[in-house]
Amino acid sequence: MTDPALAALIALLLPACAFVILALAGPFRRLGRPAAYLSIVFSAAALVAAIAAFRLAGEGGYSVWLWSWIPAEAGPLATIGVLADGDSALMLVLVALVSFLVQVYSLGYLSDEGVPSLGRYYTYQSLFAFSMMGLVLAPNFVQLYICWELVGLCSYLLIGYWYTRPEAARAAVKAFWITKAGDVGMLIGIVLLWRLTGTFDFLQLLQLADAGAIPLAGLGVITFCIYLGAAGKSAQFPFHVWLPDAMEGPTPVSALIHAATMVTAGVYLLTRTVWLFRLTPDVMEIVAWNGAFTALLAAVLACVQTDIKRVLAYSTVSQLGYMMAAIGAGFASAGFLHLLTHGIFKALLFLGAGAVIHAVGTNDIFAMGGLWRRMPQTAIVFVIGTLSLAGVPLFAGFFSKEEILGAVLVGGFPVPFAILLLGAFLTAFYMFRVVFVTFAGVPAALPAGHRSDGSHVHDAPPFMALPLWILAVMCVGIGILFAAWHPAAEFEMLGWVTPAAIAVSLGGIALAYLVYERRAISADALAKAFAPIRAAALRRFWIDDAFAFVYRRLMLSLSWLVGWVDRYLVDGLVNLFSAWTLSAGGGLRRIQSGRAQDYVYGIALGVLLLMVWIRWPR
Amino acid sequence: MTVGLGAYLTLAAVLFAIGFFGVVTRRNTIGILLGIELMLNAVNINLVAFARYNADVVGMVFTTFTIPITVAEVALGLAIVILIFRMKRTAIADHLDILRG
Amino acid sequence: MSLEVVTFWALCVLLIGSALAVVLTKNLFHSVLYLALSLTATAGVFLALDAEFLAAVQLLLYAGGVVTIVVFAIVVTERLVGERITQTSRHILAGLVLAGALLLALLRVLRGADLPVERQVITVDVTRAIGQVLLTEFVLPFELLAVLLLVGLLGALYFARPEE
Repeated sequence: MTDPALAALIALLLPACAFVILALAGPFRRLGRPAAYLSIVFSAAALVAAIAAFRLAGEGGYSVWLWSWIPAEAGPLATIGVLADGDSALMLVLVALVSFLVQVYSLGYLSDEGVPSLGRYYTYQSLFAFSMMGLVLAPNFVQLYICWELVGLCSYLLIGYWYTRPEAARAAVKAFWITKAGDVGMLIGIVLLWRLTGTFDFLQLLQLADAGAIPLAGLGVITFCIYLGAAGKSAQFPFHVWLPDAMEGPTPVSALIHAATMVTAGVYLLTRTVWLFRLTPDVMEIVAWNGAFTALLAAVLACVQTDIKRVLAYSTVSQLGYMMAAIGAGFASAGFLHLLTHGIFKALLFLGAGAVIHAVGTNDIFAMGGLWRRMPQTAIVFVIGTLSLAGVPLFAGFFSKEEILGAVLVGGFPVPFAILLLGAFLTAFYMFRVVFVTFAGVPAALPAGHRSDGSHVHDAPPFMALPLWILAVMCVGIGILFAAWHPAAEFEMLGWVTPAAIAVSLGGIALAYLVYERRAISADALAKAFAPIRAAALRRFWIDDAFAFVYRRLMLSLSWLVGWVDRYLVDGLVNLFSAWTLSAGGGLRRIQSGRAQDYVYGIALGVLLLMVWIRWPR
Repeated sequence: MTVGLGAYLTLAAVLFAIGFFGVVTRRNTIGILLGIELMLNAVNINLVAFARYNADVVGMVFTTFTIPITVAEVALGLAIVILIFRMKRTAIADHLDILRG
Repeated sequence: MSLEVVTFWALCVLLIGSALAVVLTKNLFHSVLYLALSLTATAGVFLALDAEFLAAVQLLLYAGGVVTIVVFAIVVTERLVGERITQTSRHILAGLVLAGALLLALLRVLRGADLPVERQVITVDVTRAIGQVLLTEFVLPFELLAVLLLVGLLGALYFARPEE
């Protein structure tokens, strides 16, 4: 087989088959572990196929398989299929790899879950894998949008996996609503684009763009609308509010969906359609500025979190801001590279956090401490992930983050560059804050290595440890690989950017060390110094409250109003007609008096009328 | 001068109208039956008048039929009136409205 | 003034007068008696129309039979109710209007029609002719009439049976 599209298609259909089997075969699904094994095996096979597709795609080449879906006269209106080129194949590998690792990890993490629920979990996981791959391989906007929505649905199902908990249910609904708000914008953008150009297909649009045949009038609105959809999924300001709450779902779900794959769909979309966005530099500016702002905002919010998963969630939002900033600056390849490396190390961090939570039984970092003695493996892999995120050389994140900083500066955005640099400092700070508080030092509340119920903490079990080690090795491996040989950048990097980036990272680590390990600088003093910002950060800058206000007051009031109109006006109108009918019936009923003489009247009247009618002069 | 067919028919029409007035106006059920008798009488006069002026005997045969039928109807009607009297203890037609809608 | 015209007008006055009395009298018993009078006048009209057989039938069945039946019914119901039944009329105006309208319509129809004035000459005996036709052309209705009378008889017997 030499066709990458065929391999990609196989990779796409394998999780779909797993989903269909698990969805239809209820009794088999409810057995739990066999369903899990089925899903994992299919996922592994999909990974193999994805790697094959990547190997075959090579550099620059692409191949396409299409089926016409909505037929129309001048060619099909919409097609479905796969478009396998270098970018999509690489993304496919990422999705397949993280999906497989997360499914294996979940066997350990959800080991004490009820058996029917476990089957349900793996059904959703397979559906998600299929949807995400469909999105990645989409050859046109229609399939992209369909898979986009499917991915959102899976996110809802998996965030609300423990649906009996009200916070989880609320979080799932919140995620759905916020991303839906962005999706509406995207739909409008897609339809407007079709109206402008007459096609949904990426390849055709690319040709039109290259030939300069796309009219520029109104294109800004279109690209902005599409960006809204990407902003919703990729948690850019102000749509970022759903991501921290989405941590109510199981940690492997967070690792898969909210670190490596679904949230990166927005970044991926922009990368895919960058040739369209290049035609509207104003929108690109908005993308860059908003990305930088989001990065800083999320970094500040992460500094005050005490829940380990929340820290990681805000960190994800922040890193997504970095990617968007690079794309907005005009160098989408830098953003895409960071997407790939971030997928690896953020998944690692989430899975490591999951191991900690699974062992200790709480999410609060200040309830942990000194865990490195009891959980050495987890500590090592977590530190590896943190070093990658902080952008330390020889680890995966360093090269991509440095490239983003350079891209933003070269692209002509000095202020966003400064913002991102500050963000990098804070990133290193808050991540090592977590590391020092959780793994090192003296525990705050519990004796070192003991759970809240007094039993001993243990290191991660094999199912959970294996994916952790694989990802950790990849982090280090990619870091070293890039140090030796790195893909050519699209631009000429300024000399002083790299040392500046390294300095900022090390500075953040040093600050965290001083505050949380050596206690040389008091955390309270720092808190007092930044008191107003800290207070605002603890209230999440009231953005969530704003959304809640809009939803509760405005939307629900509107719903109430519509309901009132429906009950009293619409139903009232119908009831009015029926009341008229009833009263008319009541009136007419009096003709039927039951007395024979009245009927004689009627007969006589009828006869009279007949006679008049017959004899009427014509 | 002779009396034309029209005169007899007019007589019958007047009789019919009077009978009709009696039917719709009377309160007592038997009174209503008397009105019906008058109306049927008018019909008979019509039939006989037509038969005589057109020299067609069939009209008279018709009358030979209607008279006994009317007698039977009156007999049965009165039997029903008596039955209703036994049940409802009233003779007034206004009170007999069991078939109200 | 020929005999025919005088007879006709006399019968007219009698008939209509007694008919009005039937519907307007308050006392039901008096109404019945006026009905007997009007039925007799009708028999007179039949005679004026050369229908002797029918005049006889009318007197026998109507003036004799029907009036008797009605009188008996009044007596029986009066006894049941226990007091003399009085008559009052309701909706006189509506009845008048409708009866008047009916009359006007009928008269209108009559005026437009072309009606013969002269009686046709008849040569045969009317009664014989009636009998002839009755037992040849109309024998089936004749027999059915007998059945009808039987059924009526049985029905009336059943309705008016004594209470259990």
